[in-house]
Amino acid sequence: MGEGRMGEASDDDDDADVARVVGGDLEAFEGIVRRWQRRLVGLAWRFCRDRAAAEDMAQEAFLKAFRSLRAYRGESAFSTWLTAIALNTYRSRLRAEGPALLAIDLLPARAVEPGALRDLQDRERTEAVRRAVLALPHRYRDALVVYYFQERDLKEAAQILGIAEGTLKANLHRGREMLRGRCAEFAPRPGDPVPEGTR
Amino acid sequence: MTDELDRILSSDDSLEPSSGFAGAVMGAVRRHAAEPPPIPFPWPRFTIGLVACATMAAAGAALVPRIEPMALDLVAPLASVGSELGYAGLAVIVSVGLARLPGVFARL
Repeated sequence: MGEGRMGEASDDDDDADVARVVGGDLEAFEGIVRRWQRRLVGLAWRFCRDRAAAEDMAQEAFLKAFRSLRAYRGESAFSTWLTAIALNTYRSRLRAEGPALLAIDLLPARAVEPGALRDLQDRERTEAVRRAVLALPHRYRDALVVYYFQERDLKEAAQILGIAEGTLKANLHRGREMLRGRCAEFAPRPGDPVPEGTR
Repeated sequence: MTDELDRILSSDDSLEPSSGFAGAVMGAVRRHAAEPPPIPFPWPRFTIGLVACATMAAAGAALVPRIEPMALDLVAPLASVGSELGYAGLAVIVSVGLARLPGVFARL
């Protein structure tokens, strides 16, 4: 079985495995883990930028999903349900463990100073921006992380976050504004297009 | 032209799980499944205890003014030995009685 992610896994596979696990076949859960591990670890990674912590958080999310499997009614897509559980797990962990888990010490101090990103290489610059996202207030951090993780699917992201699409749009707009305030390089210039999700 | 910040945030940021990840998760799941189910909260006993406590409190509030003179009469002979000893004896009797109550409830 491949180490798939959203799109490669079919709803039928998930529904069948859920039914088998609920029916007492514990080993059927492995199919779910293998299909969704990349996605859950990937989301955790975006929240903590640390491999060991990301895998630990994803394992906790899978365990919570296993415990809650009987409550899954199929009202939303399995991917939405599972990602929402993972998101809540990660948020709780980050809240409990505080900013230490975010390894903010690795964030170059200059990264959040206006204009300081100018001379950084593109990769370093991207990483610095991603870490700057993690330093935002939680509602904006969550909105930006989930929205881009969902490949800018506003509706799906709003469902996972459990908020209205309008609220998500507002949070995305405010989050981007705060990021731009911290990274002056990204301040909008006249004529720049407005990103999707903020219109 | 795509917004630069939007481009950066949209760029690939995936992380491949390590090879043993799925096995580690399944190990944790099996351990969890092997654990005995949590002991349910003893709601029936808790309810009986609560009702008994409330009944005793209400009965005490109603009866104490009436039985207090009788109790004082009972204690009065002890007063000749010493009022402190009388109260201590009464306290022992009441304590022993209360200590037996949980056993009575447990048999219900």
